[in-house]
Amino acid sequence: MGKYIGKRLLQMIPVLFGVTFLTFLLLYLSPGDPAEKKLKAQGIAVSDEVVEQVRQEMGLDRPFLVQYADWLFDALHGDLGTSYKDGRSVTDKLAEGMGNTLILSLASLFFSLLLSVPLALYTAVRKNHFSDYLIRFLTFVGNSVPSFLLSVLLIYFFCIQLKWFPVITKGTLQGLFLPMLALSIPMISRFIRQFRAEFLEQLSQEYVTGARVRGVKEHLILLCNVLHNSMMPLLTIVGLSVGTLMGGSVVIETIFMWPGLGKLVMDSITARDYPVIQGFVILMAVLYVGINLLIDISYRVFDPRTQSV
Amino acid sequence: MKKRWSAIITALMTCALVLGLTGTDTFVTDAAEASEAEKKILYVAEDFSYASLDAHKEYYGWMTSLYGLTETLFKMGDDSSVEPWLASDAALSEDGLTWTITLSEGAAFSNGEPVTAEMVIRNLQRAAEVNARFAYLAEYEMEAVDEQALTITTPSVYPTLQNDLASPELAILDLDNTTDYDNAPIATGPFVVGTFEPEGTVTVAKNENYWGGDVQLDGAVFYYMQDDNTKLAAMQSGELDCYTSVTAAAVEIYSLDPDTYQLTVIPATRLQFYILNENTLSDNVRAAINLTVDAEAIAAYLNGTVSATDGPFSSSTAYGQVVKAAVDTDAAMALLEEDGYVRNEDGFYEKDGEELSLNLYYYASRSLDTLAILMQEQLKNIGVNVELYAEEDPDATYIASGDFDIALYCMISDKAGDPYYFIDSTLRDGAALNCGGFESEECESLINELQYETDTDRRAELANEIVQMAIDDNAFGYVGLFNKTTVMRVGVSGFAETSPFDFYAIDADTDKTVTE
Repeated sequence: MGKYIGKRLLQMIPVLFGVTFLTFLLLYLSPGDPAEKKLKAQGIAVSDEVVEQVRQEMGLDRPFLVQYADWLFDALHGDLGTSYKDGRSVTDKLAEGMGNTLILSLASLFFSLLLSVPLALYTAVRKNHFSDYLIRFLTFVGNSVPSFLLSVLLIYFFCIQLKWFPVITKGTLQGLFLPMLALSIPMISRFIRQFRAEFLEQLSQEYVTGARVRGVKEHLILLCNVLHNSMMPLLTIVGLSVGTLMGGSVVIETIFMWPGLGKLVMDSITARDYPVIQGFVILMAVLYVGINLLIDISYRVFDPRTQSV
Repeated sequence: MKKRWSAIITALMTCALVLGLTGTDTFVTDAAEASEAEKKILYVAEDFSYASLDAHKEYYGWMTSLYGLTETLFKMGDDSSVEPWLASDAALSEDGLTWTITLSEGAAFSNGEPVTAEMVIRNLQRAAEVNARFAYLAEYEMEAVDEQALTITTPSVYPTLQNDLASPELAILDLDNTTDYDNAPIATGPFVVGTFEPEGTVTVAKNENYWGGDVQLDGAVFYYMQDDNTKLAAMQSGELDCYTSVTAAAVEIYSLDPDTYQLTVIPATRLQFYILNENTLSDNVRAAINLTVDAEAIAAYLNGTVSATDGPFSSSTAYGQVVKAAVDTDAAMALLEEDGYVRNEDGFYEKDGEELSLNLYYYASRSLDTLAILMQEQLKNIGVNVELYAEEDPDATYIASGDFDIALYCMISDKAGDPYYFIDSTLRDGAALNCGGFESEECESLINELQYETDTDRRAELANEIVQMAIDDNAFGYVGLFNKTTVMRVGVSGFAETSPFDFYAIDADTDKTVTE
């Protein structure tokens, strides 16, 4: 196992190098100058001389490869640089955004799994009954409603009509609930449909019929056999969703004033804040590769047959 | 089996609900806030929040001014005139090179230290050092005459120095006692920093030592809120007291409840305009475009977001007195026909078998996308085909290359109560935004005269003459000035709702009547 993990970690090096180089290149090629963006942030025109002076101060007048090599050298020494936009440390900015995104993502994931696993199991068992149709219809709706509309509806009902929650979240546990719900509803809807299909597949297997014939109690079959045997595909689905969640939802973060990574990176792209974007790319690449690695390891734990692969 | 499943699901739903409602006691913050409300705390939403409170850097001074933390030597009045603030007077020497600035009696920082001439000079020097937009100040000779007066000598006549000194970036800070410029600058405003989250919420508290008299509010909370729906919801739920940049949709909602909300709409300083390329469009085509684009109809479509304008400046200013030809589509079509264009079977004008098809470049910000579509529609109605092209960064693309027929742009036209900045940026030969080939020796000479003219009335006269020349040449089309729309809960007053400038909000007179 140790050798396997080591090999996978080594594979990360070219991946990280590739994504940072490509991102840097694409940003360099895209129209827009960080110095100009910064100077004209409030819609005030500035002279070309001032723009040029700031470009020089920011090192933007140097050739592309020199800029990238400099950035890479610093990054390899653990220094992701400072934001072009406000001069703050990129590491600090990412850490702040990451903390908030982690809280929101993990809460949403936990909540989604809490509801979707039992509901998917229920709909699989009650296939083609009214409750199955109802839940599937609701998941269809949940999947179709755009997140901005869902967020506004949640605010309207919970904050204005019922007055259960504040509109202004202030980073409290209570403030977490609505953004979590807005992020969870589409995920729950997706999970239920995907999990249900997997559970149905398992329920049609002969081992289930055999267990029933042997008189094993239904809840034991569902929990000990069906759920256990569905774990690998379920983990794959969850793993892929974690990546999406970590990327953050700009819309939800903006509406609920949740200062997460999604909003940070969108603001940074608009401002052509290369150091922050590069830092974000590294972070995401590490996370994606890390999560995939964890899922692969979990395959080996849940299904010993994969250890020989 | 059925019962068991129902029980499991009910349990899970209950868990979820409990999880969600765990904070119900936190929402009791409303009760806590009620007691704060007795202390007259104003709750405000802002579109921007910066990472620092160092007024001299970047545009951070805009926010520190708006938070009521910092003040400048002069301030901009509601009519865009320069008014005294930390300085009571400015006198210009006969040669027009030396300004003598007298500080206001009793002007002091929040720690009680007086504002001295020497401190002012050091502030201006620091701003020149840390902000590239104000680096030119380093070329000025500054000298303290005594504690209360200083002189600033410029290398050439610089009539708008007072206006520049009203820029919020030139706020006066206590450089001797401030130890943390980013988080806790010591300044002269009616409020002092309470808490500061970089790019987040900022709270300010009353400056008990305010030199300018009594401060009505006990404090204010500025939330960083970008989403318009969230602001509307927070107003409706009672969590906000006021904000500016209210959308047209929200205006409709607030208008329905005048007992709760007060709305103020004034034309501000941000201008929507288009540049007509003289290198690709004939005089008649440009004139036809300007006779067709109906700014009033566009403003009506944008539903109160902008006010139609003839020129780049508000018509309430002395330098905003220009006129453009009224919309006349018949005359526009006649001009095209005079140019040899005839209608083809599709209803579009063509000449020598080639259809009159124009490209219009825009970027999707400040409603320019809507403006592009409306202009396309209006021009199509007279038989001119317009293709739309969106760019993300106008400065790096069509403005830099000059490769367009019509180019849309939005910028602040009046940054400090004087027309020179906008004229210099858009009408002078070689200016970045004079990218449509507008050239006029007469205009250039008038701009040169404007640069050094010290008489305010004559400056306004010159500005009107220059802008009128650009309008008459059909080099530009000025469409709308964005309105500053402010909503305040009834009982709130003095939220700079009548100032066209973005960098003012609360001051010593801002008040909030505490209601049950």
